[in-house]
Amino acid sequence: MNKEIKKWFSLNLSNKKQSNCGCSGSSCNENEMENKKDGISQVFDVDMNRRQAFKKITAGLVIGAGAVSSSCSVVSGDESKEKSQIEWEEYFKGNYKLMTDEEKDKTVNRLVRSYELRVGKKINLSSKNAIDDVLFGYAFNISKCQGYMDCVNACVEENNQDRASEMQYIRIHEMNDGKGLNFGEADDTYYHEVPAQGHFYMGTQCFHCDNPPCVEVCPVQATWKEKDGIVVIDYDWCIGCRYCMAACPYDGRRFNWSTPQIPEQEVNKDQHYLGNRLRKKGVMEKCTFCIQRSRAGKNPACVEACPTGSRIFGNLLDPNSEIRWVLENKKVFRLKEDLGTEPKFWYFMD
Amino acid sequence: MKLKLNIILICTYVVMISCKHKEEYHNINEKIEDLSKDFKGISISSERYTETLNKVEVIENWQRFYIPERKSQIISFECNECHSKPLDELQGEEKIKKSHWDITLNHANTETMNCVTCHSENNMDELRSITNKPIDLNLSHKLCAQCHQDQFKDWTGGAHSKQIGGWAQPRVSQTCVGCHDPHKPTFEKRWPARYNSQMVDERK
Repeated sequence: MNKEIKKWFSLNLSNKKQSNCGCSGSSCNENEMENKKDGISQVFDVDMNRRQAFKKITAGLVIGAGAVSSSCSVVSGDESKEKSQIEWEEYFKGNYKLMTDEEKDKTVNRLVRSYELRVGKKINLSSKNAIDDVLFGYAFNISKCQGYMDCVNACVEENNQDRASEMQYIRIHEMNDGKGLNFGEADDTYYHEVPAQGHFYMGTQCFHCDNPPCVEVCPVQATWKEKDGIVVIDYDWCIGCRYCMAACPYDGRRFNWSTPQIPEQEVNKDQHYLGNRLRKKGVMEKCTFCIQRSRAGKNPACVEACPTGSRIFGNLLDPNSEIRWVLENKKVFRLKEDLGTEPKFWYFMD
Repeated sequence: MKLKLNIILICTYVVMISCKHKEEYHNINEKIEDLSKDFKGISISSERYTETLNKVEVIENWQRFYIPERKSQIISFECNECHSKPLDELQGEEKIKKSHWDITLNHANTETMNCVTCHSENNMDELRSITNKPIDLNLSHKLCAQCHQDQFKDWTGGAHSKQIGGWAQPRVSQTCVGCHDPHKPTFEKRWPARYNSQMVDERK
């Protein structure tokens, strides 16, 4: 028996022999595979009439034709064939949320290979799942922040954000003393010596709400809350409708209006599928608590870069963690608490 | 009558089931409290990120954690290598270049503090408390804690201490002198690290 169960038709353009799963005979777990419905089978299982079917097939053909034409051409080499093979399989892969660990590994390997083929360099792309008994939380000390913005630079470099549009997940708001938290009068583009007299500084970014409105509105379920509380986006499933951007009450989300530009030598090669891997034009992105770092036990880049120690990060479920001490011993508050979004990002003062 | 009772029973059952829906909490605090009730630790640690760091274990306010070792980081330690004579005699020698010229003391005013408030005149290799008790240079936080009790309390808990390494155990925290220059402890004014021209345009 020499057949691999796949959820899509494979072109198998390169002449390499594909290694198959080691199941020989009747013990192959076909039933198990059938029971799990991933994105692609969901798409195919939909009841549809003839007209709709033709529409979808034509759309698929147009994209497929490109891949086939380059791959079947006698002139193009093995590498370009492999490239088209990867493109084909990437096009038909399912939603990351529904993938099994094996499928996650496969798409990660494809993306690593694809980058290698395009740029000639290896990246370290992870698909590490949430750690058990971890719920990430963040605290920000508004009386210690001096407005240096070292966090912003660290974040941009760590998360491969677009240099051309100067995208930044973090905003530091310069507020006037004595006027409360008045975002209308605050300045997040200041450029003068800091800390300025009569001002205090307050950072905002994605708050990783426990009841995230952005997740609720996504029409294709391309964004969701992971088990460890991080709200993530599958950049390959996002259709760029920007509903989530409109739904977020905290201005936490950013949109790629053009293809992100990052000089090759500045690309952070330590990446996570749901985190700082390179994005494309027309998809949303935002802070992920540096998922590639936090799931490895490190602090997010902003926490590490802050020279004043205003930023505290940790596991909310660990009663001995620093974040828990802050929540239990300091007077903490969150932004727009009345909305019921339950952000996991607390502010406090000395 | 029996039917009525049945309906009521069914209704209460349904209500009970629907209220006991898992993963549904009224707020995040409730969720944290419930999920951390029997917390037994996690599968990862941050140890490898501070492996190369020389650490000292401290227990303050019932909190046990590590701080970076300090003595090996001071360039001119040990002080006794120069301070072989009492201070009076060293100061008397005119021909010797003025030492510690690069240190400006800007910590409280001179009525409150001078060099010997923290440094011992007799043994330069250690610090001294207000009551003239020796304090090890590695544990300089004990010296700061004499006046800055609030900050000290926050530091032991983790609200006023920069984590080194990562968020997971073991906890390694920056000590007072890791961020503050003890001779002039306030942070200095400087220009922000970033100027975002695109955002400036957007805000116009």
